Amino acid sequence: MQVNRLDKGGRIDRSKPLKFRFNGKSYEGYAGDTLASALLANNVSLINRSFKLHRPRGIIGSGAEEPNAILQIGKGAHTLPNRRATQVALQEGLVARSTKGWPGVRFDIGAINDVFSRLFSAGFYYKTFMFPQSLWNLYEDLIRGSAGFAKAPKKPDPDRYEHINAHCDILVAGAGPAGLMAALAAARSGARVILADEGTEAGGALLRSDEIIDGRPATNWVETIATEIRGYEDVTVLKNSTVFGYFAQNFLTITERTEGPIRQREWRVRARQVVLAQGAIERPLIFCNNDRPGVMLASAVSEYIRRYAVLPGKRAVVFTNNDAAYQAALDLHSAGATIAAIVDSRRTGAGDLGEQAKAAGIPVMPGHIVTNVSGRKRVTGVKIATWDGATEGMVDESIDIACDLVTMSGGYSPAVHLHSQSGAKNAWDDSLSCFVPGEAVQACESAGAGNGRWSLRDCLEDGARAGKVALAKAGFDMPDIAVPAASSQAVKPLEPLWRVPAAQDPDRCPKQFLDFQNDTSVADVRLAVREGYRNIEHVKRYTALGFGTDQGKLGNINGMAVLAEALGMSIPEVGTTTFRPPYTPVSFGVCAGESVGELYDPVRKTAVHEWHESSGAEFENVGQWHRPWYFPLPGEDLDAAVARECLATRKSLGILDASTLGKIDVQGPDAVTFLERIYTHNVGKMQNGRCAYGIMLGEDGMVMDDGVMARLGDNRFYLTTTTGGAAAVLGWLESWLQTEWPELEVYLTSITDQYSTIAVAGPNSRRLLHKLSCSVDLGNENFPFMSVHDAELAGIPVQLFRVSFSGELAFEVNVDSNHALPLWQTLMDAGEEFDITPYGTETMHVLRAEKGFVIVGQDTDGSVTPIDLNMNWMLSKEKDYLGKRSLSRPDCLRTDRKQLVGLLSEDNTTVIPEGAQLIEDLSAPEPVPMLGHVSSSYMSACLGHPIALGLVAGGWNRKDEVVYAWAAGCEPIRARIVSPVFYDPRNERQND
Amino acid sequence: MTEWHEKRHGLEQRIADWTSRTGFTISVRDDLGHLNLRGDLGSPGFLAAAEETIGQPLPQAPNTISDGDSTIFWLGPDEWLILTPAEKAANLADQLESSLSNQHAATNNVSGGQIALTLTGERVREVLAKGCALDFHPQVFTEGRCAQSGLARANVTIGSIGGDNKFLVIVRRSFADYLLAWLDGVA
Repeated sequence: MQVNRLDKGGRIDRSKPLKFRFNGKSYEGYAGDTLASALLANNVSLINRSFKLHRPRGIIGSGAEEPNAILQIGKGAHTLPNRRATQVALQEGLVARSTKGWPGVRFDIGAINDVFSRLFSAGFYYKTFMFPQSLWNLYEDLIRGSAGFAKAPKKPDPDRYEHINAHCDILVAGAGPAGLMAALAAARSGARVILADEGTEAGGALLRSDEIIDGRPATNWVETIATEIRGYEDVTVLKNSTVFGYFAQNFLTITERTEGPIRQREWRVRARQVVLAQGAIERPLIFCNNDRPGVMLASAVSEYIRRYAVLPGKRAVVFTNNDAAYQAALDLHSAGATIAAIVDSRRTGAGDLGEQAKAAGIPVMPGHIVTNVSGRKRVTGVKIATWDGATEGMVDESIDIACDLVTMSGGYSPAVHLHSQSGAKNAWDDSLSCFVPGEAVQACESAGAGNGRWSLRDCLEDGARAGKVALAKAGFDMPDIAVPAASSQAVKPLEPLWRVPAAQDPDRCPKQFLDFQNDTSVADVRLAVREGYRNIEHVKRYTALGFGTDQGKLGNINGMAVLAEALGMSIPEVGTTTFRPPYTPVSFGVCAGESVGELYDPVRKTAVHEWHESSGAEFENVGQWHRPWYFPLPGEDLDAAVARECLATRKSLGILDASTLGKIDVQGPDAVTFLERIYTHNVGKMQNGRCAYGIMLGEDGMVMDDGVMARLGDNRFYLTTTTGGAAAVLGWLESWLQTEWPELEVYLTSITDQYSTIAVAGPNSRRLLHKLSCSVDLGNENFPFMSVHDAELAGIPVQLFRVSFSGELAFEVNVDSNHALPLWQTLMDAGEEFDITPYGTETMHVLRAEKGFVIVGQDTDGSVTPIDLNMNWMLSKEKDYLGKRSLSRPDCLRTDRKQLVGLLSEDNTTVIPEGAQLIEDLSAPEPVPMLGHVSSSYMSACLGHPIALGLVAGGWNRKDEVVYAWAAGCEPIRARIVSPVFYDPRNERQND
Repeated sequence: MTEWHEKRHGLEQRIADWTSRTGFTISVRDDLGHLNLRGDLGSPGFLAAAEETIGQPLPQAPNTISDGDSTIFWLGPDEWLILTPAEKAANLADQLESSLSNQHAATNNVSGGQIALTLTGERVREVLAKGCALDFHPQVFTEGRCAQSGLARANVTIGSIGGDNKFLVIVRRSFADYLLAWLDGVA
């Protein structure tokens, strides 16, 4: 039964009843309801338990400011944690649960925290969980278990999300009266406009008002204007869309909660000009037990009555320090509720609205304050005291009034969150008693209530003004736009009342909550001051005031004022904390957008990929590439396949897809000069048609990348880089060319994807190429090791390199990627007689390790110099190159640096785990000195025993010494230090 | 030798699966060859030699396209992408190499390293906006404009050519499969 539903009125659709469940019970509401209005319609006042003290909590607000009604929506994989009931549109079958309270929200064991609430004062965690330190891990588990709101779904999100980039001349945030006027001005002038509002419909505060615009109801005016705005071609109107972040260069982000196949959409907007018109948020008043269910903001009460036709209480006390709450009293009165009293802290009472209240027969008590609330799970009454305006001392709460609703208003605070996120400061306005947007630092204008304009007339005017200013700055002609007529009432000014005096000392009275979501009370802030905290940012962290998803929407200004009072400072002296994005919580799903599953990260594929796939290759990720790891025959595991691939290559012929190597074309008259500075070896001495192994160093002298380079002409070179380093190396080279050596005439072009690289390795590789009518003489004289020729292979133009990463006689074939797959197939067919064996990255690693060839990034880690790798022969003494000077730093010359060595396990059978630490003495006391670590380790099928490479402090002087390799979860393995070259140390095979 | 001109881009399956969608179609432009040209506009003779060899002007205004027998994209102050009929690409590359041999210039035939896609349809700008931060408004990204940017997580060159809602998207070959999967997902 919707016992609190009014018979008529509201913007709900009574012809569409919707069933929903809350905490296991069934209820009914209407289309157009929020979950919050539907719960109130059903007289559900206890919604949740509070974060720390587990106090019973109800709904306070009606929008983004709601701190209590944070619920778990939906079940299973679709569940949404951390949602405000005030912003969840009611849907048929909706299921919602309280997020706090065990075993339930009505009886909650955690409520014991409230009884002992003195223990849970500010800094409770810091004070309690410090000792003993050894128990911290246990404490952390307990704290994590009780923290947060709701549970994240455990299953993958089945819904779809997307991102869209947008550009506009004017972005208007908020479709209340000010935002509508700004958007209307912009739309009429032909600008590209995005108007975003977090509500289900435009209108903002007008949806809860009975004001008249241009002689007709305001909501009527809203409809006309919104329809006109939507009609312009270059205007995008987004409802259910929260502008949640304002970043540099007028870049703003919006989440749109959509209907249809996409659940949410993230708009990334680059706006030339922004109009911020998000309105203002009403402040609570800070009296004892002001968190009891049934204590609500005046604006929310009006909204529930007028927009949703829900009467949240039958007998109300209205407590205020300004005129705004009188409207709620009038709304309550006309909806049939009894107003027990309007308690106005001002002795002067209110302006026009005060007269209306009196005329309606509503008792007004000027110069009084509500000091305390009775009732635990629902308000049952209030205590009232006369007040002379003194903020110090205690008052005599002699008046008791029974009621089931307390409607409060402490004035309004402009929603300055986005303004603040844009990098601008907020300015304290003494006459308005609130922070208003300070000078803008980006191309934006604030307007309306968000700019401290309270009356409807002012809002409409300010919106039109902001729209025009933004248009002028964006270079548009002034549109023809008249500000519609709206009434303006005589208002008596707000009188600040930051903390309501109580019958007891403020540090001992019942809790006066500042921040409902974080359970931060007046006493907590005062305690923080007594303990020495002075800065608002420190007090925030110590007391949690304004933390988390709430971002201080309700509590911040009151909290600052209470802090200012305790410090004896003014509010502007105390200042605000920083408002951070997001304005309201954003789901992880919409952050990820489409980048999930197959699209999580690009998978780069070589031109031969489909052959690998159809041949049953197992793949591994190398950077973004998917490379064949090994090619198992039926029944083979990794070890068996790799052993077979290694032996086949060493004995006859293997074939590898090496297309992922980075490839760079270098041309220009200064190519030699440039490359001399980049590489450590003598580039200038290379003859045309010859190749060289090259390493490049960072400025710190550490090995950065390596690869084979070829000189194709006097002014032309071809470089290869590691697979993972390709993009970084090209960027590194370009940055030197463009910023440091712009005088060098050199062009770099990435040709990584243009050429596929097929390596054929093994004693039969020359015979294979010969068989395919290779157009060049492959003999040693014409085609020695480390040389390059243009050629045709089976009629396909290729570039042939005689290079070897396996130590075997080998060739690398560069071919236009369009022809790579046919060529690969041709090589496979022709190689059949040599038992040609495709191999993957694992076999490639084993073969190179047998030869002691390092892999940059595996055997090096950014702290290894070429000297450590025993590559002194690569370091030219005749020229300068990047990193050279660093190599003569004393630290680089130490003889006890970690040096590349080979390692053999003493039992000749155990493969040492890669990453194992090397230590000298098993009985050494902790911390055990580490000599180094194992960087590469494999079973060598061709040698018949395991081999490993490692970096060992002073390793070259430790030859034949035994060390222990120790990895987590293994017994220490005895290993002997040997030369890193295990196979064919005289390089006879590659030169064959 | 002709059999080797049969191109394999590895996207056959994706394209076969691709059904024409409301307001959005896509095709792989196998018919185009790609040349990357670097050269110094300040160097006497470069521009004349290059334009004479190609037979049409090199665009000099940033982010514009010159359209003729070839379609030439401005990629940078000293870099262009020439799209030309595939069968002529190798020949044109050789001619450029020789006519620019006394210049500081670089020509690379990258026909095998790039895939050109044509995207057409009323909602093509919307599809591009989903993955690219550039402004695709018809009055901003007008016909004849081009840009290098990111589309989803791949680097691309995008050009508006041949009609209001027609775009060429050029992507590295190794990223093409990913990009088509992304387009399939968002379209």
